[in-house]
Amino acid sequence: MDTRQTIAPPRPVKLFHRFANPGQFLRLSGKVLPWLYSAGVLLTAIGVIWGLFFAPNDWQQGDTVKIMYVHVPFAWLASAGYVSLAICSVLSLVWRHPLADLAAAELGPVGAAFTAVCLATGSLWGKPTWGAWWVWDARLTSVFVLFLLYLGHIALVRAFDDPTRGYRAGAILALVGVINLPIIKFSVNWWNTLHQPASIGLTGAPTIAASLLWPLLFTTLGFTLLFAAITVARTRAGVMERRIRMLLMAKTSESGQS
Amino acid sequence: MTHLPYIAASYVLALGVPLFFAISTTFRLRVAKRRLAVIDPRGKR
Amino acid sequence: MKRKTKRLLILLACGAGLASAAGLTLSAFSDNLVFFVSPSDLAKNTPNGRQMRLGGMVEQGTVERTSGGHAGARFKVTDGKADVLVTYKGLLPDLFREGQGVVVLGVEQPDGVFKASEVLAKHDENYMPKEVVDALKKSGEWNPSSGSPPPNAVWNAPAKPAGS
Repeated sequence: MDTRQTIAPPRPVKLFHRFANPGQFLRLSGKVLPWLYSAGVLLTAIGVIWGLFFAPNDWQQGDTVKIMYVHVPFAWLASAGYVSLAICSVLSLVWRHPLADLAAAELGPVGAAFTAVCLATGSLWGKPTWGAWWVWDARLTSVFVLFLLYLGHIALVRAFDDPTRGYRAGAILALVGVINLPIIKFSVNWWNTLHQPASIGLTGAPTIAASLLWPLLFTTLGFTLLFAAITVARTRAGVMERRIRMLLMAKTSESGQS
Repeated sequence: MTHLPYIAASYVLALGVPLFFAISTTFRLRVAKRRLAVIDPRGKR
Repeated sequence: MKRKTKRLLILLACGAGLASAAGLTLSAFSDNLVFFVSPSDLAKNTPNGRQMRLGGMVEQGTVERTSGGHAGARFKVTDGKADVLVTYKGLLPDLFREGQGVVVLGVEQPDGVFKASEVLAKHDENYMPKEVVDALKKSGEWNPSSGSPPPNAVWNAPAKPAGS
């Protein structure tokens, strides 16, 4: 091995390689997983119960505003999941990180399902408030495109006989799709849309009354932890399944030789 | 005016999808662990 | 150059190219990405008989609900600079009221009246319980039928305790 490569790289690269070790990942994720799951369930439960039974109704929407407590977290996770997918893709294309390939393949279906829930709950919210299940405005259309990107990634990663080629193709698709993320975020500011602009920003007070806002913070954090837990668990399973495949292949080639 | 069916459907979806993933993944992990233990008894995880 | 660095640079170059391509495309098509036109946009052009979406605020004191065989309404949609008279037959969404944002789908008639076939209520980014609205009404800071609520700092200052 080239000695310069072991000395020269700065810290982040070393960090990646530590997690690149599948054994290390299995050990660490095994410890973290129960905590992720229990914290996620607890926070989601608090948020849902608070939101459904204790938060006040919106003065115009009435109780329909309660759909916000599930719609907003899923909308956030649809985008955040895609950001994770893009990070995995960079790690895969540039650093050839084997764990990133597996994580990306496992992220795709979870992200697609969460995006589908975002679209479905949004539709269920749109009918009683706007008067329409669906409109092709810039926000709704761009989130629908995000859903298609997830589906494309799922299909592409599994489309090749040689998994490495699938991972590369999927990573490139995922990175091309990153363009869509700022479009989703700013669609409501750049163009006239039926969808309302964001209520919570980095600057200024939120435009949601505090009594309506608290449950949202809990469900957002809760569903995010659950998303992370599911993804980590699936990646764990992926690592184990790959090890099984490799061991089986080694065995068959051994028995073939003897 | 109340819109209970819409709210109920949203919450069923939002809670059901993560639950489905959590259960199916736990099952998948258990199967993988068992198979790994059979094939590779020394790699105890 | 190390292969990793090279791959990273290729990736960054592709990303920059793609981003500028997308940006140019979007700015070129931005007129077509608009979901609705405003009353002032409508006033600039002569009626062309094409179906379009008109968005704005329901003007205060202009809603006449037509009862009888066909439920419906006549109201003016305004953006503060121009207003358009809209006629509509059908059920209005729950959120429809004076001062509410709406998007109506229809055709502008030669006489300038907008004949709508669909009315959608546009919710804004403000969410507040009834008590907050009542307090704002009582203090005279906001009359919901006159338009958008006052800046959120007035009614949702971070310093105020929850539920106030």
